[in-house]
Amino acid sequence: MNKAALPIFARLHALQTVARVAPGGSRVIATLSDASPLAALLCEVNETVLGRTLAFESSVGASLTLEVSGRRVLRVVAASGLPDAESCLAAAALEDEHKDDLIKLMQAVAPPRHELRVLATPMTRDVDGVSVGLPVALLADLLLINLNPLEGDLPAGPSTPRPAPDVVARPTPRPVTYQPGDDRPVTAPPRLSARLGVGAAAKPEPEAETPATDQEEGAGTDVQGAGSFLITLSRGIGADLMAWLIVGGESDGATDGPEEMVSHLQGFLADEGEALAAQFDQLSTEAGKDMCIVLGASLDTGHSILCARSGPGVLLGVIEGDATQTVLRAWVSAGAAQG
Amino acid sequence: MAISDSLGAVIKAFPQTRVVAFADLSSRMILASQGRDDVTQEFLDQLCQQARTSFDDPLFSLSVEAFGEPHSALVIGPDGVRVFLRSENEPADALCCVCDHSIDLPGFVAKIRETLDKISAGA
Repeated sequence: MNKAALPIFARLHALQTVARVAPGGSRVIATLSDASPLAALLCEVNETVLGRTLAFESSVGASLTLEVSGRRVLRVVAASGLPDAESCLAAAALEDEHKDDLIKLMQAVAPPRHELRVLATPMTRDVDGVSVGLPVALLADLLLINLNPLEGDLPAGPSTPRPAPDVVARPTPRPVTYQPGDDRPVTAPPRLSARLGVGAAAKPEPEAETPATDQEEGAGTDVQGAGSFLITLSRGIGADLMAWLIVGGESDGATDGPEEMVSHLQGFLADEGEALAAQFDQLSTEAGKDMCIVLGASLDTGHSILCARSGPGVLLGVIEGDATQTVLRAWVSAGAAQG
Repeated sequence: MAISDSLGAVIKAFPQTRVVAFADLSSRMILASQGRDDVTQEFLDQLCQQARTSFDDPLFSLSVEAFGEPHSALVIGPDGVRVFLRSENEPADALCCVCDHSIDLPGFVAKIRETLDKISAGA
């Protein structure tokens, strides 16, 4: 079986089970017969990409309310009937130092052979500026819980509300491999904004700005392969593209912008190159065609991430300001220049 | 104003728009759409999936770490421009749009953000 399909089969399997709705609109995600309600709790977090407040309530009488987004636990909002919750409750955003305390809370609210319910509601606060929280993949790894229950063999039948992930006892840490779409632990805290030297509302240091004339004339000290589509695209965006680099293709190694920012973008591509390629493939409507993705809080203010692929080359950069004004125009111009 | 009227107003204001659709990203469903006649249900399903992919890792993580949670995505290809906007108040609510390259993008993004806010607010 293709490993990439495992999460899909797991989800389909879960959808075929009979939904059990508890009073108040919550859902039963583990029953008295479940050996690992904790795995069901982690699965619920793992399936939460968009920001949600998840309120878990156990038949032991304890409850734990978490803010979850991007398969990460951002914050503990409330805890009832659980000991030693103070440190997590006091944290505006969960950091690595809180992981052991959070795991204890999760274990306490989801003991074996007890019913566990969840109520998911939209997050009521703005999460902009909140750091990354704790990835569920990291928590699952520490708890020796496999979030892909169908790996190896299909389960016998839908006897539980959702497929109960295996709890695997591993005497030694296993090498972790990630499939596209899996969550990946953050490898290099602190926040990238700090590492990139910019904040949500930060303006670039004067010396950090790339002189427009350099880009227009192709005179950036590191710019190579001046004729490629990606180079033409970067020039077309101009000084708003405050830091960028190209990996692969005829312009491999071309960079511009503050060295520290470029270095961190380079690290991201080195770590996430395969996953990024998969994301491009999923968005591509025509295999092998050039594509550009811009992701930002609003696109027209603040900062945005730009990522473009042309053949084997990938351009990754940070745009400051109104990306809607520049990127499409530069894309059309670059396409025309390439004929 | 009915949701179909709100989406229709976008098409009317920006004729380069091929389709504009309101989606619930959590259930992966397009709930309403307006656009050209040749838009199929399969295309809308694919568009909704692309919206989810746009707001997924690894670029989602990069954006979150750097600047906060992204609510806007732009995907440009040789066949056109796709714009995905998520509501800041109701993160599962999203507008998914496909446009020609000739679109006035700044004006279009402002228009669909206003439209999404109204739809999410129930106005």
